[in-house]
Amino acid sequence: MADYERRNNGYRGGGGGRKRRYRDDEDFDRRPQRRRYEEPLFVQVRRQLLTIAESVCSAFPHPTARHCLNTNARCATSQAARRVEDDIMRIAQSVAENSEDPDMRDTFVNISLDLVLEQPMKIPFVAATSLVVYNLKAELGVEILKKAGEALQKHIDSGSWREVKLLLRFLGGLQPLFEGNGVFALLEELFNRAVDLQTTSSEDLLGLELVKIILFTIPYVMASPATGFESQALALLEKTDIIASTPHALVDLVNTFGPQEHQDAAGPSLISLLQGQLQTEAEQGWELKCLPRPWKGVQEIEKDDQEPGQNPFEPVNKIAFPDITVPTSVPHGARPLFPEIYLSVYANQDIDTVPPTSNVASSLLRDALVDTINLLDFNRVAVAKYLIDVDCYFTPYIFVKRATPFDRMRDLAGEALAWKPEDVAVDAVFSQLFQLPTPEHKLVYYHSLLTECCKIAPAAIAPSLGRAIRFLYNSLETMDVELSARFLDWFTHHLSNFGFTWKWSEWIDDLELPTVHPKMAFISGALDKECRLSFAQRIKGTLPEPYLPLIPDIKEDEAPGFKYLSELTPYAKEGQELMQLIRKKASDEEIQPVIAAIEEQAQGLGVEDPKVPSTDALMTSICYVGSKSLSHILSCIERNKDRLLSIGAVSETARRQIIASVMEYWAGQPGVAIDIIDKLLNYTILTPTSVVEWALSDSMAAGTVLAKSYIFEMISATVGKVTNRMRQIVAARIQPGLYEPQLSVLEETLERERAAMQSLFKFIEDSVVSVAAGSNDGLMERGDGSGDLPEDDLIRQWGRRWLRAFRRKLAVEEAFITGALANATQVGTVAPSQPEAPVPGEGPDGDVHVPDADGQ
Amino acid sequence: MSLLKINTVDRLDRPSAYYAGKQKRRRYNDREEDRDREREKEDELAKLQNATTLYVGNLSFYTTEEQIHELFAKCGEIKRLVMGLDRFEKTPCGFCFVEYYNHQDALDCLKYIGGTKLDERIIRTDLDPGFEEGRQYGRGKSGGQVRDEYREEYDPGRGGYGRAYDELRRAEEQYGSGR
Repeated sequence: MADYERRNNGYRGGGGGRKRRYRDDEDFDRRPQRRRYEEPLFVQVRRQLLTIAESVCSAFPHPTARHCLNTNARCATSQAARRVEDDIMRIAQSVAENSEDPDMRDTFVNISLDLVLEQPMKIPFVAATSLVVYNLKAELGVEILKKAGEALQKHIDSGSWREVKLLLRFLGGLQPLFEGNGVFALLEELFNRAVDLQTTSSEDLLGLELVKIILFTIPYVMASPATGFESQALALLEKTDIIASTPHALVDLVNTFGPQEHQDAAGPSLISLLQGQLQTEAEQGWELKCLPRPWKGVQEIEKDDQEPGQNPFEPVNKIAFPDITVPTSVPHGARPLFPEIYLSVYANQDIDTVPPTSNVASSLLRDALVDTINLLDFNRVAVAKYLIDVDCYFTPYIFVKRATPFDRMRDLAGEALAWKPEDVAVDAVFSQLFQLPTPEHKLVYYHSLLTECCKIAPAAIAPSLGRAIRFLYNSLETMDVELSARFLDWFTHHLSNFGFTWKWSEWIDDLELPTVHPKMAFISGALDKECRLSFAQRIKGTLPEPYLPLIPDIKEDEAPGFKYLSELTPYAKEGQELMQLIRKKASDEEIQPVIAAIEEQAQGLGVEDPKVPSTDALMTSICYVGSKSLSHILSCIERNKDRLLSIGAVSETARRQIIASVMEYWAGQPGVAIDIIDKLLNYTILTPTSVVEWALSDSMAAGTVLAKSYIFEMISATVGKVTNRMRQIVAARIQPGLYEPQLSVLEETLERERAAMQSLFKFIEDSVVSVAAGSNDGLMERGDGSGDLPEDDLIRQWGRRWLRAFRRKLAVEEAFITGALANATQVGTVAPSQPEAPVPGEGPDGDVHVPDADGQ
Repeated sequence: MSLLKINTVDRLDRPSAYYAGKQKRRRYNDREEDRDREREKEDELAKLQNATTLYVGNLSFYTTEEQIHELFAKCGEIKRLVMGLDRFEKTPCGFCFVEYYNHQDALDCLKYIGGTKLDERIIRTDLDPGFEEGRQYGRGKSGGQVRDEYREEYDPGRGGYGRAYDELRRAEEQYGSGR
């Protein structure tokens, strides 16, 4: 990319050189002149609206601020911070004065609502602008209200609850405009629906979601210029209490910490927290210190046809709240709902750098930040900038200056309560990265977002990440095992973007811990992952000496050795022969005799399953011949596909030997082994059951295998393949327009696969439950057999943590299937007697096409 | 997602300016065939509608398939990975094609992985209509990528100076010392 850029700006600066040779003597500039034209006013207003409240003159200039400087000449020249209040007035005036320009009207209405739906932190400012516009030009205000109402109706009808929440927030900010109770009437209606849903089912989550929307709307109404709604707010709060404060049955399932491991750390549900916080606010007269009030400090506007002294935010003529119908049967949205937990990685510090859960700011800031993060996943650079600018969008004095060091916070602690903006922002990203069962976007999005934040403001963000890492590292023993895997993945990916620098020295003492200790498991896992993203020699160079033994020399072998080269290995001669044959792509007829020779020998030696040693020789040879790269091994597998496929048909033990051989060959680089096994699953050379059995039965090693991060990775990936395929079958089953006989065919497939999935989970459950209970045979035989060794406790803990994670996975899948099938066409439904339309996805033979299990 | 046709901030999952520019250049080459070209351009962009392949650039020559796999699998299962090779040496020359099973995974990759580091280099990703035999080779005069011919900066991960530039530089040096 660099070369393109250079080509463009190198010419004038004399940097390029080559082109100048024949242009040197021309003393006039022939470059096309940039066209000069006055930018239409609506374009200016568009930009002003889009960048509303973005302070470019903050105390902390950063590289991306440049584009703001370019777009806003006012700001480029003056160093004094612009007041957002003035911006609001200016935008509103431009809009009102040019309201006959259709482009201007469109810009104002559309951009305002786009911002509401995409950049929630700006809603109070957009709402304030709309208020002023209404006062200056009522018909424009009516127009935006009409459009907001239509959008709200549409999102209610489709069950897009986040959008509903944001539009209600916007309308809540316009509360002074409305006759009567305004937004409260709609909130009451939503509450009634929530009650219906809750009374119908104790497991209901949609009703909780509606209550959450109500609770998140109230503070924005109370922070609007409207006054006198305290009693309505309080009445509503009293009603929501019973729903919001009752813990949901699934809360424990999505908790960051297993309640069994760490009772105190079990996080409260988001909604119960918010309920309590709002009650406190109600008692304190709705101070809502964190929410911006961009109308304070603006008193008068001059306008010819209005009397001076008119408050621009106080409408003279009120209007009715948009007409919204909430359907009696409220639709579930596309996104499955789960209870949400409030997690802060800065919770246990001796000084609060983020609002404590007793403060309503913790919920309000988090909510707005999380929505911003999840709505704008298509531009992580922009999100990173908004996160770093978080102090622009809330009451400024609730934050300390950007990049204030943690130690300095200690000195400030005595003064007015204020939080560290970087911590607040980063905390919100972590809350998503560690969201159970799954966050909205792929985990790597949150990785790249943190990377981006760190790139934009390294001095401010890096220390915050450091403290987060320490918190997570110290919570490893109690954290959900899936989350420790996510932590490992993020940590190593993050370091790979910053030269693999980390203060490893501070964990040196932990190297004394047993290998099955969660901290040791994390360290080993992290070094392995770092090596996968880089290479062993490089990683060794970043580590203090005591860590070096953790990266064994075999990691540096790009191509591990071939065990049959040693005469001590049984079947050495045949193994070598086999490898040579595979290397020269010999035919099946040439290979078969060697395989037979091994099996014959094995039989003579009394080996129970002679297919096992022959499979070992075959698979090890394939690994060795294909060791140069993933492509090499893949083509090698491809060539021997039929032979490998036939193994499983004959012997399950031999099938598992394929896994054992791959894992053994790539013992130093388990990442490569996992990739190969993944591909073997795609070829159906391996089955998911074989992988799980190999790991949790053959290799259980008294439960110690559960501490290996790559095993968790492998099992998760395998289970993921199965559940993914299951979801595709469900999707095929519920597609509209499906009739008999396809319905029965699909139903049968679905039932069969569902049973297979359940038995896979059952196997994991049974294997792990015995470890958790300490009744695993191997575990009993460890050491003195008492089960009282210090490690035994740790192993049992791993068992409990695995159990929890896989029980959750099963529960989530079952909930998905049940939910999806609720409205599926009944088996037995015959097509209406019309000319038959071809059913999508159906082959001519009546088979229904189900895409291969892929993706994650 | 919402009503939005145009987002309030740019999207990172669009074809790059390079891809769009390539189409434009083609169009202006021959004005007589403007209409054909126009249609072709639309076809080219339409090809990206369901594209599952990414072109990945600015890799180090030493970055392995396994490293690429490790990073790119974070966006979804990889169907195929084709390393870019020097046309003559058949060694990696700093680019590759990553093919996913799903279009969405490819888009996510543009959003979440493009512009981040792999093997300590900022990599570039671009949506690609799909790999075809022959495209795995560098198109530069000496076998590598064109950008590695005239590069004036020393890049140890990509064979030092640009090859053509390096030759020129050496020739000049020799000439200088000869005097």
